[in-house]
Amino acid sequence: MLWLDTMQASALAQAITGSRWATAVLSSLHLVGFTLLMGSMLVSNLRLVGLALADRPLEEVTRPASRAAWIALTISVATGVLLFVPRASGAAANPTFQLKMLLLFTAVGVQALAVPRVAQAWRQPASAYATGAAGLALWLGLALAGCAFILFE
Amino acid sequence: MLDLCHWLETTSVGTVVRESLYGFPILVGLHILGLIASVGVVLWFDLRLLGLALPAVPASHVYRRLMPWAAGGFALMAVTGGLLFVGYASTAYVNVFFRIKFGAMLLAGVNALVYHRVTERTRDRWDAAPQLPAGARAAGLVSLLVWTIVIVSGRMMAYTMY
Repeated sequence: MLWLDTMQASALAQAITGSRWATAVLSSLHLVGFTLLMGSMLVSNLRLVGLALADRPLEEVTRPASRAAWIALTISVATGVLLFVPRASGAAANPTFQLKMLLLFTAVGVQALAVPRVAQAWRQPASAYATGAAGLALWLGLALAGCAFILFE
Repeated sequence: MLDLCHWLETTSVGTVVRESLYGFPILVGLHILGLIASVGVVLWFDLRLLGLALPAVPASHVYRRLMPWAAGGFALMAVTGGLLFVGYASTAYVNVFFRIKFGAMLLAGVNALVYHRVTERTRDRWDAAPQLPAGARAAGLVSLLVWTIVIVSGRMMAYTMY
């Protein structure tokens, strides 16, 4: 696609490709952000399915986890975009990358729309189990897709 | 030491790690999953120590409820990390980021030991307080910093070793 090629030919893309350390440093920060994101989402979704801190109210765990996750997501997305720019066409055509993006958007959607609603209950509603299980599957799937993308790009 | 590293690489385990088609990617993938489960969850205990998350939950309670998950992640990370090291021992040994990573992991261990052996002696007095004493907060901050260094230097190894 044309706009991907334009992006890939931009001065920003060339600066990242031309620098010896840019990609390595960006990848490192991408993983730091992602570890904080996954840690928050693990704690939050494990609480929703009742497997961690089950004696505490849902919101007491899901709220701070969500706040930390937004900060972590900002780090991951900012570094992710900079990593994407120099290889835009190749990455966009890569099925693993497409899967990674699909899982990311779905997981963020569930986190932003479903979790705050189901977490309002003090008792454990069935919807919390379902949301937590979906969240765990989506975030772990995202991690696996991320690993696969690093290794087989 | 380098001789030992070379010998490790010639063992059958080292050869399998290096030469099997999917051995390396599977080990790296599991290593990163272990990292997420261990460090990702430990960060939450660090945030509690710093007073930034779960202030109403006693620190020891957060620790007890989260550590089983982190421990599983640590075990996975240690096993896969050990196997990856056997396969690439001499290249890793001379790699500056491997050395930084190893040093930071040792610091993380010392930090945890100091917290459990020294800082926690007075735990009865502050366990449930939202804001913990300086020693406990320092343990949380040091843990956050050293694990960040471990992650960064680990990822840098991929760009400087192979």
